[in-house]
Amino acid sequence: MKEIISIIILPVLAGLLLFLIPEKLRTIKGLAAVLISIITGYLTVVIYSSGNQVMHPDESAAVSGFILFGLKSIIDAARYLVFNSDNLSKLIILFISLFTVLILLYSIIYIKEGTVKNYYSYFLITLGCSYGAVLSDNLLLFFFFWGILGITLYKLISGHDEESSATAKKTLILIGASDSIMIIGIGIIWKITGTLSIGSISVPTTNALSVVAFLALLTGSFTKAGAFPFHTWVPDYAKSAPASSSAYMPASLDKLLGIYFLARITNKMFILNGWLTILLLSIGVISIITAVMMALVQHNYKRLLGYHAVSQVGYMILGFGLGSTIGVAAGLFHMVNNAIYKSGLFLSSGCIEYRTGKENIDDLGGLSKVMPVTFVATLIFAMSISGIPPFNGFASKWMIYQGIIDFGSGSGIASKLWVLWLGMAVLGSALTMASFIKLIGGIFLSRRRPEFENIKEVPVLMWLPLAVLSLFCVVFGVFATNLVVPKLFMPVSGSFRFLGFWNSSFVSLLVLISIILGIILYLAFNLKKFRTEDSFIGGERIQDQTSYSTTEFYKTIGEFRFFSGFYKKAEEKWFDIYDLSKRFVLWLSHQLSEAHSGMLPGYVLWVVAGLIIMLLIMI
Amino acid sequence: MNQLLPLFVIVPLSATFLIMIFGRFFKDFNKYFASCVLLFLVVLSFYSMISLNGGLSLYKVGGWQPINKIPIGIYIVMDGFNSLIVCIINLIGFLVVFYSISYIKRYTAENYFYALFCLLIGGMNGVVISGDLFNIFVFLEISVISSYALVAFGVEKNELEASFKYQVLGGLASFLILFGIGFIYWKTKTLNIADIRAAFSNGYDKKYYLFVQLLILSGFGLKAAIIPFHAWLPDAHSSAPSPISAMLSGVFIKAVGIYVIIRLFFNMFEISEGMAILITTLGTISMVIGVFLAIGQWDIKRLLAYHSISQMGYVVMSVGIGMILVSRGLKPEVASLAITGGIYHLINHAAFKGLLFLNAGAIEYTLGTRNLKEMGGLAKVMPVTSATSFIASMSISGVPPFNGFFSKLIIIIAAILARFYLLAALAVIVSIITLASFLKFQRYAFYDKPKNPMGSEVKEVPFPMVFSMIVLSILCLLLSLLVIPSVREVILAPAVNILTDPLKYSTFILGQ
Repeated sequence: MKEIISIIILPVLAGLLLFLIPEKLRTIKGLAAVLISIITGYLTVVIYSSGNQVMHPDESAAVSGFILFGLKSIIDAARYLVFNSDNLSKLIILFISLFTVLILLYSIIYIKEGTVKNYYSYFLITLGCSYGAVLSDNLLLFFFFWGILGITLYKLISGHDEESSATAKKTLILIGASDSIMIIGIGIIWKITGTLSIGSISVPTTNALSVVAFLALLTGSFTKAGAFPFHTWVPDYAKSAPASSSAYMPASLDKLLGIYFLARITNKMFILNGWLTILLLSIGVISIITAVMMALVQHNYKRLLGYHAVSQVGYMILGFGLGSTIGVAAGLFHMVNNAIYKSGLFLSSGCIEYRTGKENIDDLGGLSKVMPVTFVATLIFAMSISGIPPFNGFASKWMIYQGIIDFGSGSGIASKLWVLWLGMAVLGSALTMASFIKLIGGIFLSRRRPEFENIKEVPVLMWLPLAVLSLFCVVFGVFATNLVVPKLFMPVSGSFRFLGFWNSSFVSLLVLISIILGIILYLAFNLKKFRTEDSFIGGERIQDQTSYSTTEFYKTIGEFRFFSGFYKKAEEKWFDIYDLSKRFVLWLSHQLSEAHSGMLPGYVLWVVAGLIIMLLIMI
Repeated sequence: MNQLLPLFVIVPLSATFLIMIFGRFFKDFNKYFASCVLLFLVVLSFYSMISLNGGLSLYKVGGWQPINKIPIGIYIVMDGFNSLIVCIINLIGFLVVFYSISYIKRYTAENYFYALFCLLIGGMNGVVISGDLFNIFVFLEISVISSYALVAFGVEKNELEASFKYQVLGGLASFLILFGIGFIYWKTKTLNIADIRAAFSNGYDKKYYLFVQLLILSGFGLKAAIIPFHAWLPDAHSSAPSPISAMLSGVFIKAVGIYVIIRLFFNMFEISEGMAILITTLGTISMVIGVFLAIGQWDIKRLLAYHSISQMGYVVMSVGIGMILVSRGLKPEVASLAITGGIYHLINHAAFKGLLFLNAGAIEYTLGTRNLKEMGGLAKVMPVTSATSFIASMSISGVPPFNGFFSKLIIIIAAILARFYLLAALAVIVSIITLASFLKFQRYAFYDKPKNPMGSEVKEVPFPMVFSMIVLSILCLLLSLLVIPSVREVILAPAVNILTDPLKYSTFILGQ
């Protein structure tokens, strides 16, 4: 009981206290933050292993009043303070703790002086509020915590130059806008059902009002998770923020929370009608395809990762859009997997930046020898995100495909279109692969530049989180069907049977055997005997001119006649909901301020006209 | 308790004269004396709010007893609603005057500043606690005239032009108000608010009644800067010295505009549905157009001034929704929720808008410019200003856990519960654009790199200014607590009850 309150209040209070410690002692601040995160991590394990519980108002007020003020002064606010730990929220808080500890460890070295002020304070406040959002049963309480996360997201970006300050602004505007829209949804739910308890709401989406409420809440969830068309802050944020911030918020916590809320609203709070299912599925595939197409042409590797953070959300939405047990389980599984490999990818991008200071793939190359741990970890993450067996990304994508095939046997228009959903999902996966070949090839393989000769591997505190995360990628992939999904995800979604024959461990074994066979063949036939030469024409070595960077190969995509128009428009931000609305608002603003000429007679005229119009209307 | 009520007017008025006299002989007398006076008024106002305990209290000036139950003397009334407003006036007034100790050094004639300031406070207190129309008008003129002078305090070209426009439109407003009061007196032969209510309940000519209401509405609408009567506000509020802008935007338009409209249309006129709809519409228009005007501004204080229009729109809209429901006699709990939201937002706005103007003043104090395009990177050199202005920006944009979030939440939910879905949607859109324009302010002032190389003289402002900003930012957080039911019962509920039960006011006063 007490654990639920403590894991919310402890990090927030610690975060507030850390504001008082000067920035110079930031290593101490970091260590304190790690300590707090480990304590709360332990408490979440305690919560996870205990049974489901709804915390009654009086009780929670008593406990929190005890902790906060040492008295029961807020007891009358109790009807809003309802906490609920069910299977879903317990699962989410467990992973929140995992990512927090790992990323904090990484931050101790990565966050240098002057990057982000009060980094650890906002980090811990984020932690406490995330727990709060996941565990609260009252919609308003949930929304309270959810809203604070927007501020911490804004504060975890440095904003010391023009680009990052613009990004910070854009991020909070989009997040704040979606939060405001959510209020409408909450208000309508209150009006329809008369209750705000997440656990007891169940609204059929039969009339316009309930559909609006659903869409309003969906907007909030999509913006947080970064799905089309509210995703545009994610790539920008990924590019400008410190890598650990991107790994923490957009890559892991925002995904966990956004998808957590999506799971709540699609599964329990609303009963979806056919059209909304089609809407969800279409947004899913549009997110997958458009974001991955944008990722293909990026040169900045952090921005590339940002687009993938959007694209992967599409799969999760597909899973929840299906609405079946396997779909929900697949969506959740993919959410966790995505958080693992995506935060891993961001952290490794931070490692690369930490050592080289470069942000573009074109400027890098051949780092595999000098940064072997980072390379192997990134390779595992890249294979996971591209859906290559036996890694975890494949396991969850495979479940999503299964879900779609299963869905196809149902009736309704959405089911009839199952081939479309499936085809797009598979295509998206292939394109993901393509863009990660670019990343791996451009950064780690190819020719090493002379300035990178003396680079060393990152310190142990930075590569350790990477190693742990890549271990998770492997374990979750290899033991997907027989251990991970039944133990972790079936309690949430309900049990189901996998279609066809598929056992991840067995397949992993096959993969392993074939790799070993390959190595044996390689060694046995001594294939190492081949000749390497620099390229030459007519005896002249022309190495410099013929050395193409990896990104050159991807230029052709942008030059296809069909795509080039789209890319051009995307460059001009025609598909960015933020820029579109900004243009409209500023245009309207300009029109209105034209009327304010500063001429006094005009102003007097307005007053008189206003009075006359009111008289005409009323009398 | 009753006997203390006149002090709200007497103390600041006499302070005005004392400052003018003694200020000439003793250096620094003016600023410390004004601060002490305001501090005393703060204590007095909170004491009277607490001792009121949800009821009403009445003071008859000169002890003139009613004859045949007709009140003939000057009545000073304090109830749940105006005690809140009095608290805001004096609290913000104190912080502003304390802030001015450092800020106003740049101007000459400090004596006049503090004297006019006390006059402004006295006028506002008078408007809010008067129980009759005549005194409302007199104190209104006292405060408005001192505000004309304070707006022009810089005596530069811009200030004088703004003050002139303000005077012309303010004069128009006073004319409309006086005209309306005259019409009321002609029919009812009385000026006491409670008595007018009783007189009108004996039957009246519908058209005449509406005409009077519209005159009063547009007169006080001008003072409250409701669109289309808003044109003076951006000039006046941006040209005044920053502490005065904080006072005008944070308190003045509420005390002499919004408060009087709410008081008269609930407690003096009988609430009619048509009028309620008109008020709601005006509020909505102000809310929407104000914010669109604000987002395009590059002068910080103009941006803030336009936001005042928009935020007052929220208040008027929300109270208007409550009025519509009261007039229809439907859903009393939703009506009181809407009015609660409106009054709560009114209080919150005083805190965050006052703070924002003080922040703008701090920036102007150090950089000497109000243009956002010439700032940048101030977060490093002015940490307190940066942090407090961030809190204020988040409050006005309605981001949790700050106070503006809760009041906007109540307003939007009340609009939805009352089935005004369009208004709820507009409130949300306006809230988003508010957020956008304040993030613009944050970005260009505090983030980014400095546009011009900053000298070593750019540093955090002196202690009195820092103190006021910190207190107001703490207030922005503390006011969130008003949402907790038991606190709300004590502070907001009395104010709402006096409005949802309009007859309570007049029956109490006529019964004394």
